[in-house]
Amino acid sequence: MTVLLAKLIALLSKTFNLGAGGTWPGEIALKLDSKILSKIVPKNVVLVAGTNGKTTTTLMIKTILKNAGQKVITNASGANLLNGVVSAIITSPPGGWGVFEVDENSLPLVLHFVNPKVIVLLNLFRDQLDRYGEVDVIAEKWQKALKNFTGRLVLNADDPLIAILGNKNSLYFGLADRKLFSKTPEHAMDSQFCPRCWAKLTYDGYFYSHIGIWRCPKCGLARPKPDITTASYPLPGLYNRYNTLAAVAAAKALAVPANLDGFSAAFGRQEEIAGHKIFLSKNPAGFNESLRTAICLSPKKLLLVLNDRIPDGRDVSWIWDVDFEMLGKRQVLVSGDRALDLAVRLKYAGVSAEVLPLSNAVHQADFILATYSAMLEVRKLLTGKKIL
Amino acid sequence: MNLKIAWLYPELMSTYGDRGNVICLTKRCQWRKIDVTVQNDAAKADLIFMGGAQDRQQKIVAADFLGKKANLVKKMVENGIPALFVCAAYQFVGHFYRPYQGADIPGAGIFDLYTVHPGDQAKRLIGNVVAKLLDSGKTIVGFENHGGRTTLGPKMKPLVKVISGFGNNGDDGFEGARLANSIGSYFHGPLLPKNPFLADWLIQKALEVKYNKKIELSPLDDTLERQAHDFIVRKYGR
Repeated sequence: MTVLLAKLIALLSKTFNLGAGGTWPGEIALKLDSKILSKIVPKNVVLVAGTNGKTTTTLMIKTILKNAGQKVITNASGANLLNGVVSAIITSPPGGWGVFEVDENSLPLVLHFVNPKVIVLLNLFRDQLDRYGEVDVIAEKWQKALKNFTGRLVLNADDPLIAILGNKNSLYFGLADRKLFSKTPEHAMDSQFCPRCWAKLTYDGYFYSHIGIWRCPKCGLARPKPDITTASYPLPGLYNRYNTLAAVAAAKALAVPANLDGFSAAFGRQEEIAGHKIFLSKNPAGFNESLRTAICLSPKKLLLVLNDRIPDGRDVSWIWDVDFEMLGKRQVLVSGDRALDLAVRLKYAGVSAEVLPLSNAVHQADFILATYSAMLEVRKLLTGKKIL
Repeated sequence: MNLKIAWLYPELMSTYGDRGNVICLTKRCQWRKIDVTVQNDAAKADLIFMGGAQDRQQKIVAADFLGKKANLVKKMVENGIPALFVCAAYQFVGHFYRPYQGADIPGAGIFDLYTVHPGDQAKRLIGNVVAKLLDSGKTIVGFENHGGRTTLGPKMKPLVKVISGFGNNGDDGFEGARLANSIGSYFHGPLLPKNPFLADWLIQKALEVKYNKKIELSPLDDTLERQAHDFIVRKYGR
């Protein structure tokens, strides 16, 4: 009965062209039947969770499965709460596979209704404090939720908070090239303390933030030896190496070839529109990596856009944990609801910033780093279309 | 002139932009040609800062700080050395923190206050805050995010009167606390960058106590800070 209703909602959504990627079809379906996900979920599911990299990794795994001849449903637009996953299934043509990115707080809930073949856990970074609370609390919730999971975990060996969630059956990915170690430790570090005994961890080196080759001198907990350490990387940036390794590791767990032919960047994630490259940057670790990657690509003009709407996090204090000092003597543009906060932060970082309205700034910059709602606005201005 | 800033537990107690307060103090000194060194223990410091922490990190700090180290900082605060305690540090320097369930968690007893968490059913106090400093009437802007409700004892004065927001406990209309030249507050923001006169007040007091003479800081161009400050006042002040 509810499956029929779900199909009706999907038909309405299609008829009125209400746009894929919205969450309202799922919202309605869940109101009618809160357990509907367990009834409509595809036979084979992969879940992808973590603070940074979900959308890109999900798209990579989708590409791998499509290249293996499978029909795949994803919640491509980043609608990653329960209603987003349900919406994606309802509004997509049927498929044997579902690859879904899941918000950190929603993973336990989704696991009530789905028994995935594989769960990919990417990383845990400090994100919007007013939405997520503390990283430790999320890690604990995941540990509880994974107790009864019988599928395979694909884990980032280089993130202690993720690695500790593993068991004998888990597959690990990580970087092995020590030349990639960062020269100076970042400030925006979480989990420098052993997730088991709380002693301070020692690191052979950091790849970025608290991600690196780590060991606990007290209880002996150490980075597991990764099964996957190299791949052919379709996107620049150290963080995208991890996303690629995660997807390749997922392919191994699913026993399909790791074929990324035809993969192109997800919207807003180093997506290029009309000669402008867009980097979604929404927390200190992610922003640092976007800045580093952008700087390596020799931008003519950088635009930083900061909003404080609900998807961005209302509290913008986190921008002071971003190492903007790395911009050096560059002149950058700033825009968004909280452009002035950015300008003050940059002043104290020794970087000169020009505050401009977004509609002007967007056309003057070839590289744009933006928080979530700002990224949507940037895309709209550059493409002239609404995405959601 | 030079200033030694003690930034206590920077790795364990530095959530959500708190280091911006240290960056702000450091730069505002350097722009005035005042040399700054940042150290991690309080001994011989001229100015003390401690930021917020997650619960587990707070416990590790408590094990290290309570006792001798806390008593040293308490003496320094009482002798007029300025200190800024924000978020979890603000709670921690009080007498105790009473969680919804379980025993009271002892604090450092530096400030005469205590904090009580009313439980998961009570709403969390989150949002942009606009407030007025009690003595000068100048506005202060910040962002609060706390479950605990703080009550001040007789030795403390509040820092600000809340115009828009919750404050210490969502009840008495005040936020923060003051004792001698020291300040406690729940404000993220961080607190100092958009309220630069507060940063300058701390620097001035620190230098006056250190050099035992009246200090007048050369003014800085705070146009940008004032614009960012006024934006919040216009948007969120009632």
